[in-house]
Amino acid sequence: MARSRKTSRDPDLRRWLLTGTLVALGLALLAFAVYLLRLDAEVQREFAAVRWVLPAQVYAAPLEIYPGAPLSIGDLRRELDRLGYREASELLGPGTYVAARNDLRIDTRRFAFWDGVQEENRIEVRGDAQGIGTIRVLGSTQTLDLVRFDPLLIGSIYPSHGGEDRVLVRLNEVPPLLPQTVILVEDRNFYRHIGVSLRGILRAALANLRAGHTVQGASTITQQLVRNFFLTPAQTLHRKLREALMAILLERHVGKDEILEAYLNEVALGQDGPRAIHGFGLASHFYFNKPLNELQPHEIATLVAIVKGPSYYNPRRYPQRVLERRNLILKMMADAGLLRADQYQREVAEPLGVSRGGSGGAVRYPAFVDLVRRQLAGLYPEEALTSEGLRIFTTLDPRVQSDLENRIQTDLPEIEKAHRMAPGTLEAAGVVTSVEGGEVLAVVGGRDVGYAGFNRAIDTRRPIGSLAKPFLYLSALEQPQQYTLDTPLDDQPVALKLPNGRVWEPKNYDRQLHGQMPLYQALAHSYNLPTVRLGLNVGVDRVRDTFARAGFDDVPAVPSIFLGAIDMSPLDVAQIYSTLAAGGFRTPLLAIRAVLTQEGKPLSRYPFKIERTLPEGPVYLTTWAMEQVIAQGTARWASSVLPPGQVYAGKTGTTEDFRDSWFAGFGADRVAAIWVGRDDNKPTGLEGATGALRIWARLMRDLHARGLDPTPPADVEDALIDPASGLLADAGCADAQALPFLRGSAPQQYAPCANAAQSSSPLNWFEKLFKK
Amino acid sequence: MRRKFSALALALLLAACATEQGRVSTTTVQPPVTTTPDAGAILPGAGIVGAPGITRPSPALPNYPKSIQDSGATPGVLALYRQAQEARAAGHADQAEAALERALHLDPRNPFVWQALADAHLALNQADQAEAAAQKSTSLAHGNPYVEAGNWRLIAAARQARGDSDGALQAQARADDIARALAKTP
Repeated sequence: MARSRKTSRDPDLRRWLLTGTLVALGLALLAFAVYLLRLDAEVQREFAAVRWVLPAQVYAAPLEIYPGAPLSIGDLRRELDRLGYREASELLGPGTYVAARNDLRIDTRRFAFWDGVQEENRIEVRGDAQGIGTIRVLGSTQTLDLVRFDPLLIGSIYPSHGGEDRVLVRLNEVPPLLPQTVILVEDRNFYRHIGVSLRGILRAALANLRAGHTVQGASTITQQLVRNFFLTPAQTLHRKLREALMAILLERHVGKDEILEAYLNEVALGQDGPRAIHGFGLASHFYFNKPLNELQPHEIATLVAIVKGPSYYNPRRYPQRVLERRNLILKMMADAGLLRADQYQREVAEPLGVSRGGSGGAVRYPAFVDLVRRQLAGLYPEEALTSEGLRIFTTLDPRVQSDLENRIQTDLPEIEKAHRMAPGTLEAAGVVTSVEGGEVLAVVGGRDVGYAGFNRAIDTRRPIGSLAKPFLYLSALEQPQQYTLDTPLDDQPVALKLPNGRVWEPKNYDRQLHGQMPLYQALAHSYNLPTVRLGLNVGVDRVRDTFARAGFDDVPAVPSIFLGAIDMSPLDVAQIYSTLAAGGFRTPLLAIRAVLTQEGKPLSRYPFKIERTLPEGPVYLTTWAMEQVIAQGTARWASSVLPPGQVYAGKTGTTEDFRDSWFAGFGADRVAAIWVGRDDNKPTGLEGATGALRIWARLMRDLHARGLDPTPPADVEDALIDPASGLLADAGCADAQALPFLRGSAPQQYAPCANAAQSSSPLNWFEKLFKK
Repeated sequence: MRRKFSALALALLLAACATEQGRVSTTTVQPPVTTTPDAGAILPGAGIVGAPGITRPSPALPNYPKSIQDSGATPGVLALYRQAQEARAAGHADQAEAALERALHLDPRNPFVWQALADAHLALNQADQAEAAAQKSTSLAHGNPYVEAGNWRLIAAARQARGDSDGALQAQARADDIARALAKTP
């Protein structure tokens, strides 16, 4: 009974247990189903909403060549190298060239500009050391008048607090070898598994065991993508499970190719300061300075090597380590039949070939990209700039930029040495612009030209000293009834009672007095006393107005502005000197030419905007006086450097206690403003002429800046002047000098030495006799 | 006879014109010769003429280029100029503008390119820019009457577009005067 009771009880218990288990299992299954459903919804939602974070890409101005262009064949070759074109023994597709002595055969890259597409072209360029001769289409007799190369990618606008940067690629546009290699190395079963791969896990385990260390990961490409997309990198069991489930779910909704394409764009491939390099498209530029479709097999292998761990396999830091892994991958490629044996032998012998640090990215020309970013900030919301893949075409001229960088890096140490300063004492900044279009061609924000830090070209605002004088003299010359270049000015002490009760007594820099001199001499030699006297007569307001018309309106209403007590940045200086250089036409300095959407649709273009704000004649006279600064004044040293027979105009600037050394000046096509000083604003002992001028003059020489056009405007005439009397001269005067005058403002009276005077006035010879 | 006379008149006119443009830099050592103010009055740049200046003796008839083809422009600039003309003719003034800016990038001081740019600005309803570009063209033309006549016509149209009828009439009169003087060429 007891037994039967027992047996009758047992089935009860068993039933209960069974039911309980079933219910628990059911509940668990239900919970799991709900979990799966939610996960599925999340996967679908997230993947559908994937919007690539695409920082705006910033391009330099394109190189254009044409018959007669003043670009030597050697220079053209250097430009091709800068653009990442590869020299080869035959043309192997876009981005390659073949070099001979006076002849380059080039396969140019196709590129979509804001105003149309430049198609790929196979051309032959003949020329010599002077310039380009002819351009011919290869395989035909057709000659070309103009070829525009693809522009250099100089950086991107990613969020200032750091973030992802990428260049989006499409699967059908990448070289097939890339996805093949990625699959071979990362996930051999990719096209067969369901998102996770048991075989993959086994094979990886086996391979790792055989190698003695990890050579293969077990995660599928889908899992890696899911990890990057949806998950945090924490290594927990739950996360691993979640990752596997999401991978399986993702595969149910999205095709293999789409997953692969997303992976190619998402995978992390490096770090550049605060900027994370994502995807193969950007990595190709970042490491090899060329587009993805021009990569060689060994370069593809290198990028795939980095996937395993971008900091451990950083090719710039650990080249040997990366080379070994690259060669291992090349071997895998050969074994899998992706490379022929002879190809493998060739590729494995190649050096790593990674470009110098910082190329293809924002660090290339940080000061210029900073200016672009600031100019864009007022035009587009930050969000649009850092995520929508806009394409920004700028005015940067890489050749001008590299000349400016070279000068500052070469000349600062030299100046320090010459003045017995410790190396690294001085800082410098410079801006170069084009004369007629107001385009910013180059910006350097400090001697460490690749450092994306404090941008002295924009953020250093220092007194400009005598750089202010041309605008005061221009204000005077706008009143031809009162002032001409010949007007005598007194170099006499001046004392001025200021509103605060103090007395201002400016001095000449040499602490000397030089007597009476014509107006242009006072500017050429940068004498302070005649300048202040002139300024007091012209008036503070008139001078401030001239500055405003030149393009700078933050000038205080005090007499010390006559000597340059105006805080300006090198960029501000370039702006006002540009207006002089352009003959009185003001153009707001612009670093951006056009903005396109990601799809290449023009969003906006920034055309030349000019306005006549300063009168042509007086600007011509002022420029003439600034030519004398170099010909005979404070910047005479420049004549030893600048090409003979060419005329340039400029002005030195030195501030109190030699804290700032400035030079700004121009020829017919280039304006350059240079500042040299110290970050702590301590005295340097440098004048404008011993500091900034050194850089400026050599820079203008390096740039092959054209000399000024000597033709005066319609309202200017030359008159021969006798320097002794300041009156009209003729053949009778030995030391006569031609001076330009606004029409009708030249002296009417003849000098005692003039024949005309002697014949017209019988008293003249008498006077002359007594004068002698 | 009449042809000869008009040729002579033009020679005088252009000579005076050259004076106007101050082509005197190296020749001022000559004793002063006074020009007749009337001759200069209708010429480009007149109106800012002060007292009669010093000039050199009448030079040969200045050989001003009539078109960009004669202006020594490089093939690249000419190609872009042609491209701009085609775009302009097809009604795409914005494309013309872009091509001309590229041309100015290569040759920033060509008055014909600036003039064409003024024309493109005008077609894009940018009257201020049109007038400024025409002024720029004139200031780079060094007294070339062909260029200056065209610029005055553009300025007239720009002023008209802005609603400045008086200014437009004045500019048109300048253009007409130069055109009349040029029409007398044999």
